[in-house]
Amino acid sequence: MLNQIGNYSLYIALLSSILIIIQSPILLKRNNINVSGRIFSLISIQSLMIIISFITLIIAFIISDFSNETVYNNSHTSKPLFYKISGSWGNHEGSLLLWLLVLSIFLLIFTITSKSLSNQYRILTLFFQEIIILGFLLFILFTSNPFMSLFPIPNEGTGLNPILQDPALAIHPPILYLGYVGTSIIFSSSLAALISGSVNKSWAKHIKNWVLVSWIFLSIGILLGSIWAYYELGWGGFWFWDPVENVSLMPWFCLTALFHTILILEKREMFHSWAVILSITTFSLSMSGTFLVRSGILNSIHTFANDPSRGVFILCFLFILITLSIFIYFFYQNKIKNNFTNTYIVSKETAVLINNLFMMFFLSVVLIGTVYPIFLEVVNNDKISVGPPFYHKLIVPFMIPFLIFMAIGPNFNWIKDKINKINLQQLLFFILSIIVSFIFLKRVGISYLFSLPLFVASFFLFFITIKDFSVKKTNLSQKISHFGFSLFILSVLVNGVLAKEYSSNMKVGDERKFLNKTIKFESLKINENKNYQSLEANFKITDKNNSINLKPEVRVYDQPQTITSEADIESTLYSDNFLVFNILKNDGFYNVRYQIKPFMIWIWISIILISFGGILSIVKKNG
Amino acid sequence: MKIKILVLAIFYLIGFFNLLYAANSEKVDQISKNLRCLICQGQSVYDSQSDFALSMKILIQNKIDEGKNDEQIYEFLKSKYGEWIVYDPEINKNTVLLWVLPLILFVFGGILILRKVSIK
Repeated sequence: MLNQIGNYSLYIALLSSILIIIQSPILLKRNNINVSGRIFSLISIQSLMIIISFITLIIAFIISDFSNETVYNNSHTSKPLFYKISGSWGNHEGSLLLWLLVLSIFLLIFTITSKSLSNQYRILTLFFQEIIILGFLLFILFTSNPFMSLFPIPNEGTGLNPILQDPALAIHPPILYLGYVGTSIIFSSSLAALISGSVNKSWAKHIKNWVLVSWIFLSIGILLGSIWAYYELGWGGFWFWDPVENVSLMPWFCLTALFHTILILEKREMFHSWAVILSITTFSLSMSGTFLVRSGILNSIHTFANDPSRGVFILCFLFILITLSIFIYFFYQNKIKNNFTNTYIVSKETAVLINNLFMMFFLSVVLIGTVYPIFLEVVNNDKISVGPPFYHKLIVPFMIPFLIFMAIGPNFNWIKDKINKINLQQLLFFILSIIVSFIFLKRVGISYLFSLPLFVASFFLFFITIKDFSVKKTNLSQKISHFGFSLFILSVLVNGVLAKEYSSNMKVGDERKFLNKTIKFESLKINENKNYQSLEANFKITDKNNSINLKPEVRVYDQPQTITSEADIESTLYSDNFLVFNILKNDGFYNVRYQIKPFMIWIWISIILISFGGILSIVKKNG
Repeated sequence: MKIKILVLAIFYLIGFFNLLYAANSEKVDQISKNLRCLICQGQSVYDSQSDFALSMKILIQNKIDEGKNDEQIYEFLKSKYGEWIVYDPEINKNTVLLWVLPLILFVFGGILILRKVSIK
């Protein structure tokens, strides 16, 4: 019954999509017809139908309707309610339905909020957005239908991958998707603006909010994923340059570049074509991200559901969209005004160009590093791995000039500024940064010869962004985001330099010395939970002043049978104590890993600050 | 001239940081962080607790005790398990584009900006 409701509503949504696509060219010819008429009702019906189908899927998960194949494959009656619900988008079919849901809701919001803009622009945006929606509907209905019926109806489902049964990871996909899908509106509207010849100030002003919204959700989505990786995957790191992580970082670089460019477009009517190119690229990257993750091409820890044949469909769809947009770009490119005339080397405009240059460089490193191994394997069957050392080697050297530019760039004036703007004050801060970094590295005992430039650059940015709070000229949201970024870089560096790790095989009652601390394995007990058994250890960590107890777990899930280790982390403002243990084969011994991670919490706080700057910028403008 | 300086600056930075990356930590840790755990999904040997990773760490320790240097150990592992095992692909005719392409793009973009803006 539920399957039918889901299926039918998706088919009605498909029908509305086709109707809108057919009607748009007719409406375009008759100029004075208002969009809020028939097209608006069609869009509303479509959104409603997709919402119904999504709710249907959630209900099927809640009541464990095993006549639904997706529910059977990804749920189990013994699962807690929260994970039954989050399980509905924790799988391939459901996650695509979520993509579709966000697509249609965003389109509805776009239609409602763009009433002041030209009809032609609005209809064209709707048209392109509907093509994307149509593509996803076809994809869902014919290759990944979440409403397939099973007969005879099984009594019990096979369960959700236990590693996904986690609060951060339950909300991570929806947040990330809001970011990804937001870029589709940017894509459609940039093409529409291109065709209607309205790539200008007012377009920039309108699309800026969408850029910000996508950027904020993407940032928070990435943050949630990193936090999850930190406490769940059990190695104490938060970023592994894993292909699936990279895929979410690429549109982030692109959006960041786009946002800065849009600001210039809004204020100075410059960089029109570049803004369009970035809009198209951002969406292509988000789509490729979905493709790469869902197709199973990537060898990655995060690829939970994959099926190569589906990848072919997304690949074709992506190919059509990109070809279409390139075609449109070159066909209508002459409609774009281009004025590069009044750009001087020391100006805010150039500063943004330099920001874009670095963003594009970081993007290209991540993109090439992620895709290159795939191509190499196809071309001459060589398998290579591209991991953290590659990214560090290419990104870190460029970080230094980037951070310094980021410190001085925002203080430049528009159009033309004097070179002696790099003034005494900044010089003093620079010297201060050298002194601080020198003392810091000396105390830590790191070979400062090599790390010094990186620390100097980060401290410099840190001091300058703090100082900038006292300057009235720039806006507060920018200051917060830029300060957040400097804090982020600094915390990552300090964390990287000061992190300490101890690993040993221990049995209950053992005691080990590490630095000035004593690690004692006090006890071990077995807990019975609803859908798993857990082995809970109790470690006591004592140093001179105080002692803490850490209780990591090893969980044995029964549906499906999986063992996971849950780290126990004690976070303070200064440092995290991270402890995880694993079962070893020889009796009684457990592998214990204890890590001290200074300033870990500041990495999370800084990303929240970065996003908060964006939120503030939206609220301030509309409030 | 400007372009020359840009290119030179980039090569200087790259060379400099390859030195930096060879910073010291425990040698086994350092090597095993650069190795893929072949039986895991996207984890390094260092981070993994699998049997493969554990025996790998012992193997590396033995090689160090035999007096082999990093280069020799990587070469040995590559000949045994293939290029796939190292996370840090060496530069050869297969991977030269991987390393150089982003740099070319950066230089290209830099030139583009320098040409568009006026210096005065």
